[in-house]
Order: sequence, then C-alpha cells, then structure tokens
Amino acid sequence: MTPKAVRGYDYRAVKLVMRAVLVTAFGGFIAVKLYDVLAQHYTFRWGLVWHQLPAFNEGLIITLEASGIGMLLGVVLGLIVALMRLSPFALFRDMGTLYVQTLRNIPSLIFIIFMYFGISRALLPRGANVGFMDNRLFWGSLALGLFEASFISEIFRAGIQSISKTQMEASRSMGMSYWQAMRYVILPQAFRIITPPMTGELIALVKESALLLVISLPELTWTAKDLGHQRPLQFEFYTILAAYYLAITVPISIISHLLEHRFNVHRRRA
Amino acid sequence: MITIQDVHKWFGKLHVLKGIDLKVTEGEVLVLIGASGSGKSTLLRCINGLERVQQGQVSVAGIDIQTSKTNLNRARQQIGIVFQQFNLFLHMTVLKNIMISPLKVKKVAQQEAKETALKLLQRIGIPEKANVYPDQLSGGQQQRVAIARALAMQPQVMLFDEPTSALDPEMIKEVLDLMRELAEENMTMVVVTHEMGFAREVADRIAFMDDGVIVELGKPQQFFENPQHKRTQQFIQRVLQA
Repeated sequence: MTPKAVRGYDYRAVKLVMRAVLVTAFGGFIAVKLYDVLAQHYTFRWGLVWHQLPAFNEGLIITLEASGIGMLLGVVLGLIVALMRLSPFALFRDMGTLYVQTLRNIPSLIFIIFMYFGISRALLPRGANVGFMDNRLFWGSLALGLFEASFISEIFRAGIQSISKTQMEASRSMGMSYWQAMRYVILPQAFRIITPPMTGELIALVKESALLLVISLPELTWTAKDLGHQRPLQFEFYTILAAYYLAITVPISIISHLLEHRFNVHRRRA
Repeated sequence: MITIQDVHKWFGKLHVLKGIDLKVTEGEVLVLIGASGSGKSTLLRCINGLERVQQGQVSVAGIDIQTSKTNLNRARQQIGIVFQQFNLFLHMTVLKNIMISPLKVKKVAQQEAKETALKLLQRIGIPEKANVYPDQLSGGQQQRVAIARALAMQPQVMLFDEPTSALDPEMIKEVLDLMRELAEENMTMVVVTHEMGFAREVADRIAFMDDGVIVELGKPQQFFENPQHKRTQQFIQRVLQA
C-alpha cells in the first residue's frame, strides 16, 4: 500500500551503492597512478614480504594486548576520574583536575619513556634483578591506559554533564541513592551521547600504541621497523603495517556506528 | 502528616523563605498559590529534601527531613513528587519508568513490580503505551506517567510542582482529572499550581505565598470570596479579570 515509500527506500540503497562504487573507483585510480609513478624508481618485491606475515601477526597480538589493557584501564580509570571531577567534595574534584591537567599536558611519548625507564627502574630495590620490572607489555599498557584515562575522563564528564540535572533530581526524589541514580539513570543516557567521541579516543589509543616501540615492545610498528632493518623492503613493510592498523581501527568504527544506530532506533532525541 | 516549622531558606544572599509555618493533615489537599518567585516551589522542594533549609524544621510522617541524620533515601520513598517538566527517564520504556524505583529501591520482585506498573497504566488510561518511550507520548500522557511513576512507590504524600504549566491547554484537563481522583481517594497532597479552578474545587485549604511568607491560609471559598490580606485581594482581582 505504500509503493512510494518502498521506491524511496530502493532509491536510497541504489544511491548508496553507486557512491561506494564511485569512491572505490576514484580511490583505486589514484592509487594505481601513484603506484605507477613510484614503480619507475623502485622495484616492488611483494613476493618477498608475504612470508614475513607471521612476524606481523605476532606484532598484531602484542598491539592488541597493549591496546586492550590500555582501553580497559583507560575507560575504568577515566570513569572514576570523571566521577571525582563531578563529586560534591572539593578535595575529590581537585584531585581529579590535577590528574587530568598533568597527564593531558605531558607528551604521551615522554610519559611512556618516563614510565618504563624512569618509574620502573626507580621502583627497583638497589642491586635487585630487573626481572618483572622489565615487563615491557606491563609498563607500556600501563602508560597507555594512564594517559588515555585523562582524555577519556573528559569525555565521560562532558557526557554526564549533558544529561539534565533534573534527571538526577527525579531519581533521588524516588528514593534512589546517588549511585543508583548514576547507574540506572544518568550513565545509561550518557553512554549513548559519548559513543562517538569515545570511539575516536579508543581509535587514537590503538594508534598511540605504536609509540611503545620506543621501549622496544615488539608490537606492530616495532616489527615493521625491525624487519625494515633486516631487508630493504620498507615500502612493502610499512604498507602492510598500515593495513594491519586499519584492520583494527575500522571494525571499532563499525561497531560504534552500529551501537549508535541501535540507540537511535528508540530514542530520537539525544 | 506534614509539619513545617519556622523554615528559612537563603540562596546566597537571597532570602527566599522567611519563616514558614504550615501543617498538612492526613488526607488533606493543600494548594500553594502565589506569583513567580514567591518561594512556593522552593517550599515544596524543602518537603522532600531536594532543597536544604538553613533554619527550621520539616517533618513528613514523623520523619525529620531537614536533619543530616535522616536517611533521605528512605524518607523519600514516602513522598512522591511530580515536576513541571515531567522528568521521565528518556532511555526507558513507560513500563520501565514506573518499575525502576520499586525494583531497585524497594527491592520488589520483578513480577510484582510489573503487575503494579501495568495496573497503574490501566488506571491512567494508557495501558497500550507500556512499551513505548516517553518521547512518543503527548505532554499530558507523559505527566500522567510521571504521576503513575510516583504512585508506584506507594507514597503517603504527593507533591505537585506546577504539574500542568508545561502542557498544552487541551491536555491540562486529563492531568487535573487524575489529580482530582487522587484527592478523592484521600491522598495527602501539596499542589503548587496556577489552576484556580482546580484550587477552588479540589483544595481543602489554600495557602497564598508572597515574597517568602504565607500571607493567607484558608478554605477556598473564603480565599476567593473574602480574602483578608491586601496582596491576596490584588492577586484574586487580577486572576479573576484574566
């Protein structure tokens, strides 16, 4: 009974497919042209790099581990810091602010170096074996999580503050405690709002894990660099490296997009 | 049921409540009237502890609301409040809005909470909206859900803070009718409103507030036909002209 709507829907789908084809064709064209230009100076030896993929896969696992732990720590600590910054107690607020302003204003590269070469060594008793203190994955993920928590906390804070204060009042008026109101009313609404910026930050975290090569953690970027030292195939190695990062970050974007869509099915107003 | 004694409230330097004394007995409907800024909403919010007073006492059902020793979360279970802007939880269905507090605060069983909620929806006349989200309801329907949500906690007292002020004229009646029913069931109610018809018809007593004090308190008939205080006389005159 609604041919117009059906036709309208089909038309949108067709348009989407056409756009995808166009973009792919255009992008592909540019890439091929660029490749031809480079090929005049450089001989691509893709055949030689394929059997290095196992090394990349090992690097991938470490990148995933470092990013995963970093995300977990960043999100949990970020939420705690955000709640501190919104606390009615001035002392908590100040401590939260101190954390955010310190961590956010140190270059992340320097913070990683400081954690691994500074803190881990300083914690070591005089004359003791390096042992556990040399666990690069531990210190790397810790550094990643700690400084990302400062950014993530700001995302949480903005999200929570964007929920009208009257939602908290209504919850408290029905006898909910502050924490119950946060858990059942404020945070679920805030999570919807922060999904897009949070995705951006988590993708940034994955990309920043590449910095961990400075502490010789054998993650993806370190692997590509190391292989490049052994064989003069940098272009090929770094192309593969970029593809590996895309393989991590694009799915995160897609999941975020799906989540957003799911939230919006029933809730049109944010 | 509600006793308010010598309550003073300051917002910074602004003295908004200047010594309020008021008693509301069980089953009574008290309507608070007054110009904007006269302190009536603030007074209402002091009754469930959303506002803290700097001086004086408020007690509801024998519980002292304004001392720090009181467990406000528990006290508030006895006091339902309905806001001007409904304040429904936008991420929950109508049913969930009504169930959430009985479930999480009173720890009622899921099945029981659901049955109560469905009964309340039946009562407010929109059982078919159980699984709809608040933004798909009209303002009048949202406010009725807000009332149902408050009733789900089985409070002893219901507070209404200008419940019809944010509604389109054609939806005001459905909300007032529901409140009228509550009054007939002997619910103790304190209602801040500009609906003079409702006040005249439903109120047991009317309190007129001006500049942080209750200047007149009495039965509706006396209040409308024979107001004693000068401010009340001016107010009534203006309202009746409009």
